[in-house]
This record gives sequence, structure tokens and C-alpha cells, in this order.
Amino acid sequence: MVKKELIKRSPLRILEQSIHGGLGNGNIGVIAARKGVGKTACLVNIAADLMLQEKHVIHVSFSENTHHIIAWYEDIFTELANRFKLDNAQHLHDNFLKNRIIMNFNQDTIDQEKIEKSILTTIETCAFNANTIVLDGYDFGKSSAGDLQSFKNFASQLNLELWFSASVPDDHGYFDGSSIPEMIQPLIDKISIVICLQPRDHFIFLNLVKDHDAEMVGNPHLKLDPRILLIAEEK
Amino acid sequence: MVKDVRKLRNIGISAHIDSGKTTLTERILYYTDKIHTIREVHDKNGGGATMDFMELERERGITITSAATNVRWKNHTINIIDTPGHVDFTIEVERALRVLDGAVLVLCAVGGVQSQSITVDRQLKRYKISSVAFINKCDRVGASPYNVIEQLREKLGHNAVLLQIPIGLEDSLSGVVDLVTMKALYFDGKNGENVRIDDIPNDLLEEAQKKREEMLDALSMLSDELAEAYLEGEETEDLINKAIRIGTLSREITPVLLGSAYKNKGIQPLMDAIISYLPSPKDRINTALDLDNEEKETLLPSNPAIPPVALAFKLEDGHYGQLTYIRIYQGSLKKGDELTNVRSRKKIKIGRLICMHSNSMEDITSASCGEIIALFGIDCASGDTFCGGGLSYSMTSMHIPEPVISLAINPKDKKSSDALSKALNRFTKEDPTFQAYVDAESSQTIIKGMGELHLDIYLERMRREYNAAFDVGMPQVAYRETVTSAVSFNYTHKKQTGGSGQYGRVAGMLESNRDTDYEFINSIKGGAIPSEFIPACDKGFQECLRKGPLIGFPIVRIKITLNDGNYHPVDSSSVAFTNAAIGAFRLAYSKANTCILEPIMKVSVEGPSEFQGNVLATINQRRGIIISTSESDRFSRIDAEVPLSEMFGYSTVLRSHTQGKSEFTMEFSRYGRVPESLAEKLKKEYLEKQKANK
Repeated sequence: MVKKELIKRSPLRILEQSIHGGLGNGNIGVIAARKGVGKTACLVNIAADLMLQEKHVIHVSFSENTHHIIAWYEDIFTELANRFKLDNAQHLHDNFLKNRIIMNFNQDTIDQEKIEKSILTTIETCAFNANTIVLDGYDFGKSSAGDLQSFKNFASQLNLELWFSASVPDDHGYFDGSSIPEMIQPLIDKISIVICLQPRDHFIFLNLVKDHDAEMVGNPHLKLDPRILLIAEEK
Repeated sequence: MVKDVRKLRNIGISAHIDSGKTTLTERILYYTDKIHTIREVHDKNGGGATMDFMELERERGITITSAATNVRWKNHTINIIDTPGHVDFTIEVERALRVLDGAVLVLCAVGGVQSQSITVDRQLKRYKISSVAFINKCDRVGASPYNVIEQLREKLGHNAVLLQIPIGLEDSLSGVVDLVTMKALYFDGKNGENVRIDDIPNDLLEEAQKKREEMLDALSMLSDELAEAYLEGEETEDLINKAIRIGTLSREITPVLLGSAYKNKGIQPLMDAIISYLPSPKDRINTALDLDNEEKETLLPSNPAIPPVALAFKLEDGHYGQLTYIRIYQGSLKKGDELTNVRSRKKIKIGRLICMHSNSMEDITSASCGEIIALFGIDCASGDTFCGGGLSYSMTSMHIPEPVISLAINPKDKKSSDALSKALNRFTKEDPTFQAYVDAESSQTIIKGMGELHLDIYLERMRREYNAAFDVGMPQVAYRETVTSAVSFNYTHKKQTGGSGQYGRVAGMLESNRDTDYEFINSIKGGAIPSEFIPACDKGFQECLRKGPLIGFPIVRIKITLNDGNYHPVDSSSVAFTNAAIGAFRLAYSKANTCILEPIMKVSVEGPSEFQGNVLATINQRRGIIISTSESDRFSRIDAEVPLSEMFGYSTVLRSHTQGKSEFTMEFSRYGRVPESLAEKLKKEYLEKQKANK
């Protein structure tokens, strides 16, 4: 299969349609779930799809090291390449890597201003015109509406969109993935898209719970297959 | 043989170049009675310090290779591994660190925590090595140990706990106050060999009390037992020492001692601290990879009664033949034992076991786990693991990376030529990533290694240690050629004009191969090519791979499927089919969208965050791809992939962009495609070179 075909057939096109064409520059999207349910996998699926389209992604993580994140991308690329028998996979892989920079911060010791400054330096110094920033492991518990507004301004200024993951703590009341989790409720004005992950029947379903300003939210009928880590259509 | 492994310490002395590490080591050797006169590093009589025995090191006043020295102190055995202080010699450092259990971090009371101390400290942290800090040069003008402690906390993030305060500073430094025993220590005698314990001078009493409280506050956090006793005012020396040891082993605190090695002040208390606070081999967890069990990580218990596992971490070619330094991780060794070198599968018999002093040696009959000893006349390479009792453990990964850079060296005369071959023979054995061969075409000696700096160090050593005079060519990157599309071929080799003829036809497919460098598949059905000629076809293809037509480098990632052909009952021969394969390959290769590959290096740059932008720019200018950046409050690390050809001279560039405060490491990652414009340039250069040769 050629790359063009792979992009065209990607289930993420369905997600785009469901959310009225996509997240959009200057906007924040959140993927929420309990710990270990597949937030990173979803973010990497979204990022990898953009990277294949030659769009630039900055993956910001707040974890201990970056090795496992690199491994996520490698696994997902290999899975796509093998499953869809991609032509010239080696060459595509080399180009794929050029479209991503991973940045790792220690949220305890670095404030948001410094994070934004550091991202800006990277974009400018490396002439890396990022289209999307994914922020994995950001602690919404420590974040205020002001912080999110600052991120939104930053994104508007640079013409890019921001995808976050939000980990719903175990002690945080009832959460079944069917509605906006309590922890991001106070910040919901600043967030355009919320997708909750619902594990059931050996799959993880992507449940759209906020879609820009739409009153009726459609279901994209997508699921994450935990064995192969790819997002697929619900059949 | 050490009877009780708990009374053994394997330590390194890690420091910035000029903080007096070698002087300190000398003093330790002196006090432990191993040498009888004290020599200085920059001795005018040419004596030089005992640990720095290579001429190059003596001249620069730095230590390049790690020698191991065994000393005794208060019923304990201490092996001192002299770790190199210079960033450029990372291979040596990493190897030395591998066998350490603890370290003394030497800091200069005047210079404080310098960028090099940061590097050394980071290496210790990477290997999770417990350390005690020694603030040296307290006798120098401008000495300010309290400043250094602040830097130790702020710049290196150590929970530094001061165990001593100085009595006087600069030229008036006369001793130290021990805050644990609350006694003053003076160092009498010509060389400070007599430690005199006295009462704390009245003018220091108040400060000592204050600093002791600070120390006890910090230690109370580590031990409830001490905290309770402290509250009651009943803390004992024993409890305090126990808490310091617990904190040091878990790397929660770094005890700080001070003095002046040059003026013989504070060395003996440092020795006491080494045996009291640093870990014994039993306190450390060591693992190996079990090769019989899919390289599963396996614990190496510090038990002398089980089959031995030992790591050769350093080879030395001395006057008496090859010396191999090893550390025993489990089990015991004795003279006459048989061991297997896990890498080469060769069996060796232990002839002589040696306990090493810096430049002299002592024969021993046996040694057990935790000990560092040397073996004589063992054929092995550095990094090899030796096992007994049928075990197949490897302490290091078995993978040895292929060298990616080469350069030609031409000896100036016969004497140099002989010296060179001796040197190369030794270095290639000591370092598996360093290789040497004679190029058949140019008859030049080519050396290969992992980077520019790597080769530079060896060139310098050949000049110094072997007096070899030679010219050096420009460094050459090891390019490769390959194809990107599949092409079918059908080629007939025919020479049937009189005499015995040659005939062979081969047909099949040439395509790119992601996994291996060369794969040959024989799909001939029905004897279109008789099976006795198939190896000849394979040979013909392989011959073509040695040197590609684009720029003369080997061709890789090729898969050839042979599916048809033809033969002549009389004129077909192996030679004919080899020639047919060569012809077929050449033709197909020219149509298969060829490209040039270059070594891409994994480059990591670490340093203060303030220079992150500068570092990113240097990588970006070098066709680098940023893989990731990591930032904490002060430090940042950038991981990138950069083509090797762009990395020449990078250390100088990095130094000038970061005020010398960042360091980088580089290792081979993969082969990547050379951009079209650069590929054209390489092809043009190759053509011109060929024309010139004609």
C-alpha cells in the first residue's frame, strides 16, 4: 500500500469528521481515562497519523524518561507498516522521525512559562513548524483555568492545536467514561474536545463527550485494540 | 584473599582534572605503607606519581588509563581504581565505573564545582554509585569549603552533610574538627603520618557545635533510632556513624570531609570514612545476562562457594606480557582453575593470580567475589566475561558496534612501521571498537573506530608510547550503497569463439532487503541451472557487493532471488556462472534506483538548560534530527540523530557554544540515506579520484 492510501483509509478521518473537521488551531483537546487504559496509545495514534501526513508534532511528556515514548512510536509505525504492507517502509520511517520532537519536562521543577519558552526556542531554533503539540501526563490536578488559557494563547499565537491526556485518579469518584470527568469540569470552558476512553469487551472505546460547542455529540464508533495498539473502526 | 567481603571496598577517586586527585591517591598509598616516599605529579626529577604511569599522562598531569591498586587500612582491604578525570576518555571511564562500589568525589576548595565535576558526578549517578566528597586544597589562597558545599547542594543536587570543619584555612590550615567525635585532629610528623587527637580549640567550639547540630538534623531524617536518641540528647558515635552509612548507601546523603592532600591534612579521616560509609561488594546488587536463557538479567550473589563470574575490565601490555584486570562478581578463583571466556568460548587456565600495586605486583593463590585482581597471559579482550562451572553469563552486552570512521596512517620509516604494528596489535585487543587492517588496493594501514576523538586518542598514544612517526590521512566516513526498488535481471555470459568456451545464463530479481545486508535465495526449478553451479552464482553476486559503483563503498541490504537460467553441456563452468552473475548484478544494479547510505549517530548532549537553544542550533546546522529533549530545573539533555560526517570537530564547537559546560556522547545508531545533493557531490568526488588514479 502506498502512504497516501494509508492516510486516506485511516480511522482517524472518521474522528475528524465527528469533531467537525478536527480540533483546530488554538484549541485544546483532551483524552481522559483512568491510569493504564490507553491515553498515550491514542495520543501516539493521532500524532503518528499527522506525522505520516508530513505534519510536525511536538510530543511533550512529563514522565521519567523518553525511551518508552520512542518505543510507542516505533511499535505503532511497525504495526502500520506490516499490517498495511507499506511500500518503501525504511525510507518512510526515516522521514516519519523527522516530523516529531519529543520534549520531556519535570512538572515539579519547571513552571509552565518555562515549558512554553522551551517549546518556542525549539520551534524557532530548529525551524520546526509544529502543527500539533501533544502533552502526555500533564497533571490537571495542579492546573488552573489561567494555565489552560495561557496554553490556548500560546497555541493561537503559533497556529497549532494541543492534545492533552488527562489521567482520572482512582479516588476521584465515579467515572465510567460516558461523561466529562469531574476533575476537568472547572476547566471545561477552555477545552474544545473531550474524548473519554471506555474499556469493555476486550477493547477500549473512544467516547466523544464534548465536541466544540455542539449540543449534540455524535459517537465516532472507534475503538483501540489493546493487542496491536491501533485505533480501528467499531464493527 | 579477602576473608570477609564486608571488609572490602572497591572505590574510585573521581574528580575534575586539577582538583588534586592524583596527589590524594599518592597520599593514600603512602599512609597505607605501600610506597615509602611521596612523589608529586609535576616532579622535576621525572619521578612522577605512581598511579600515572603512562608518559602521556605524566606530561599532561592527567590520568588516562585506569590502574587498580590494592591497599590495606584498619583491617580493611581497599581497591582503588584510578578513574580518568577527562570527559574525552569516556570508554575508559565507563569501564572503570562498572567495577566500582563506591567513590570519593574530590572537589577543589578554590574552584568548587566546575563543569568537569558535573560530568563526573553525572557518571556516578548513572551507575548509582555511593560517594563521599572530599574538599581538597583547603590550604590554597581563596579556599572556601562552605561555598563548595553550597555548590554541591545547588549545582549537583547532593544532600551534602558536613562531617568536619577546618581548623584555620589557606596557609593557616592546621587540621580538622571531627563533628562526630567532637575532637580536633592534627596531622603531625614530616608527612602528617601521626594523627593527634586533641580538644577543639576554644574559638571554634561554638561553630563546631552549630555544624554538629546541622549534621544531626540531617541525619535524624534517615534514622528514627538516631532521631529519638538526639531528642533525648543521647546520640552516640555509633548511632551517628550508622545513620551516615545508611544515608550514603542509599545515596540520600553525601558525607563531606575536607583537607589538603598536598599538605597531608585530613587524609586518614577520609580513609576512615571510606571504610565506614562506602558500600562493600555485598551491599551492591550486580547482575549479568544469562546467554543460555535469552539474555535474561540474572542476579550475581556475593557468594564465594558458587561457580565464578568475572569481568575483564582493563588490559595492560606491560614489560612482562599482557595483564588482565578482572573483578570477580560471584564465586572464587584459584591458581590452576579453568574458566571459559563467554565471548570467544575459549577455555583458559589461570596460571598466575596477581594483586596489583600501581607499578608492582604480588602473586596470590586465590581470590573471591568482590575482589579486583589481575591475571597474567590470558588471551582476551577488554569487556570479556569469564565464567566457571558451565555458566554462560555475560556482564556486558555481546553486541560490539561496527566502527564508523576510518583513516589511513603511513609510517615514516621501518622502525615506526614495526612500532605501529605492535601498538595496533595491542590497542585492537584492548578495545574491540578499534580496528586496524591493511587495505589491499592502496597498501595503506587503515584504522577504524567509533569517532574522531576515539581515533585521536590512539594516534596520540602511538606517537608517545611507541615513538612511532607517521602521517595521517583525512578521516573517512564508512558509507554504504544500496537499492530502493526491485529490478528483474536476465543475463547471458557467452564466450564461445574458439578454444574452450564459457556459457551461462542467470535470471531473477534484485531487490532491497530491510533486515540483512545480503540474502541469496535459490528458486531454480527443474535444473535450469545445475545445482553445482549455484554456489558460483552466489559467489559472483557477493563479489559485486564488496565495492559499489557509485562511490566505491560496500553494497548492503540486498536480496537476490535466482529463478531461471540456462547452461551449456560443455561450455558451462563455475567461472562462467560467476561471470554471468557479476554481469547480471551490474546491469540490474544500475537500474535499481541506487542510493548512498551514511552512518547516523545517536548524539546526546547534556548541560545546563541555559544553553539548550545554542545546542539545538548546533545540531540543526548539522542535518541533525532532534529525537527528544529533557529538561529539569537546571539541566537539559538533548538526544538527536546526526550524520557522522557532520560531527567532525563537534567537541570544539560545543565547547565554544556552551562555555565548556556541556558534554556530548555519540554512538552509532543506524545507516540512513544521504540527501540527493550530497550524494551527487560524493559521486563526483569518487569519479575524480578514479580519474586521478588512472
